Amino acid sequence: MKTLVVFPNMELLYAASTLGGEVAALVFSQKEAEAVSGKAHKILVAEVDPRLPDAAAEAVAKAAAGYDLVLMPSTKNAKTVGGLAAQKLGVELLVDVLSMRAEGGVLTAERYVFGNKAVAAVQVPLPAVATVAPGRFQGEPPAVQSAVEKLALAPTSRLKIAAVEEKSRGAVRLEEAEIIVSVGRGFKKKEDLQMAFELAKVLGGQVGCSRPIAADLKWLPEEHWVGLSGKKVKPKLYLAVGISGQPQHIAGILDSRIIAAINNDPSAPIFQNADYGVVEDLYKIVPILINKISKLKGG
Amino acid sequence: MKIAVLIKTALDTGQLRVRDAVVVEETPLKISDIDRNAVEEAVKLKGQDKAYGVTVLKWGPLQKKVQEAENVLREALAMGLDEAYLVADEKLLNASHLATAKAIAAVVKKVGADLVLAGEATVDNYTGQIPARVAAELGWPVITYARELKVEGGRVVARRDLEDHVEVVEAPLPAVVSVTREINQPRIPTLLAIRAAMKKPINRLTLADLGIGVETKISAAYKPLVIQRKKVVIKDGTPEEKAEKLIQHLRQEGVI
Repeated sequence: MKTLVVFPNMELLYAASTLGGEVAALVFSQKEAEAVSGKAHKILVAEVDPRLPDAAAEAVAKAAAGYDLVLMPSTKNAKTVGGLAAQKLGVELLVDVLSMRAEGGVLTAERYVFGNKAVAAVQVPLPAVATVAPGRFQGEPPAVQSAVEKLALAPTSRLKIAAVEEKSRGAVRLEEAEIIVSVGRGFKKKEDLQMAFELAKVLGGQVGCSRPIAADLKWLPEEHWVGLSGKKVKPKLYLAVGISGQPQHIAGILDSRIIAAINNDPSAPIFQNADYGVVEDLYKIVPILINKISKLKGG
Repeated sequence: MKIAVLIKTALDTGQLRVRDAVVVEETPLKISDIDRNAVEEAVKLKGQDKAYGVTVLKWGPLQKKVQEAENVLREALAMGLDEAYLVADEKLLNASHLATAKAIAAVVKKVGADLVLAGEATVDNYTGQIPARVAAELGWPVITYARELKVEGGRVVARRDLEDHVEVVEAPLPAVVSVTREINQPRIPTLLAIRAAMKKPINRLTLADLGIGVETKISAAYKPLVIQRKKVVIKDGTPEEKAEKLIQHLRQEGVI
């Protein structure tokens, strides 16, 4: 087994090592090469701007020669690079892989499909490309001797990046939050969200939201958005307040340990997807919860 | 500008038929939601030229699903596309994205489009790889995850929405662009438009018609994901009592 890791991080290098055999890393700068030194048998350095998917894919397609599997992270840019490279190489690409094994020239991998309502077990012939879902391969890649090589290529891109705008990044790291209080259309105006922030504060958690709050009403920046096209979260407690529970939202919270929900509509679908549901007007119960929990924590 | 819009006749994940496995054959098809945004963008940009819907049927059985797929395409035609191409072939009824992209690229060449628009991902499989693959197959540049799009002087300029930042990216035409839901508000067709769509052509093609062959060695099995939630619903008592009960449960679970 020979695996090439592109955009390497420790999780990917570990995932590659679980397949056995040789692990190589493709990086796009000297600095990245240093970061993975001692974690891959071979480090290939391509002097390419990795933000340009066509140029990066050219490097991947060239570097992939002789490898059984190309592994990448499940970022939007990496998936784009993966799609381009896979088509050039004439191979299949599996994205957001949860688990995988390689045997007898076949890669068997699992991934969520159908709005995260099913798991697909997919078998593709090697060579293949795969992107790995975050948080699924936790471990240290073994220490090895690394040989560094330059990948000779004259990259061409027809894309031009005219500007880059950073998204406002507050202290919100929902993917890492242990407790999330999430808000939806049950809140009648923007100022009322303050209640949710207070509840999150007394719980030591962060505030998430459903699609309408971030995308339509724009009451909160997109970094708070939980769901299929927002963040996928895995807190120990997800408390959905005034969220009806559309499938796209549920798809983002599947990995939560406990889901609790507050909604005044007893037929809201969120109750079918929650461990504990409270049928109540959030405007009545949230202040009580803030009060009780702060007392609990205080004494 | 001639535009090809990729339309997935996707499994309706809200109506999955489930026994031991997901019964794909019995699950109805619908338009992949984000493709409506791609159709809307195409209708806005096409000007005097035509905009074509392009679909590769991925879910069988062929005869049954072809009819459903045509109904899905009528929706896109009612939104303003001029004509649709439906590639229906037994050899494409599988999980191979490599084969799908080859078929799509062949149709794009056939209609002579200058721009391919697609949704950022499809609602059933949600891989988002087809736009990039089609671009690679055609040898065109690709811009993925566009939340704004302009076409000027033979170039596309898009705001590409990534995890931590937005890039303003330019590419020369012909090009492939995948769009997010934020790019526009898809129109709801009028009754008149729905009637007119009944007369618009839907051209059915096989791989042989396109002059290509595909060999696929891929298999996929779909198991329903059963997540056992406790579904304890607290609905009796005063708000005070309900709050107390919720806190008790959460403390017993050790999460607060």
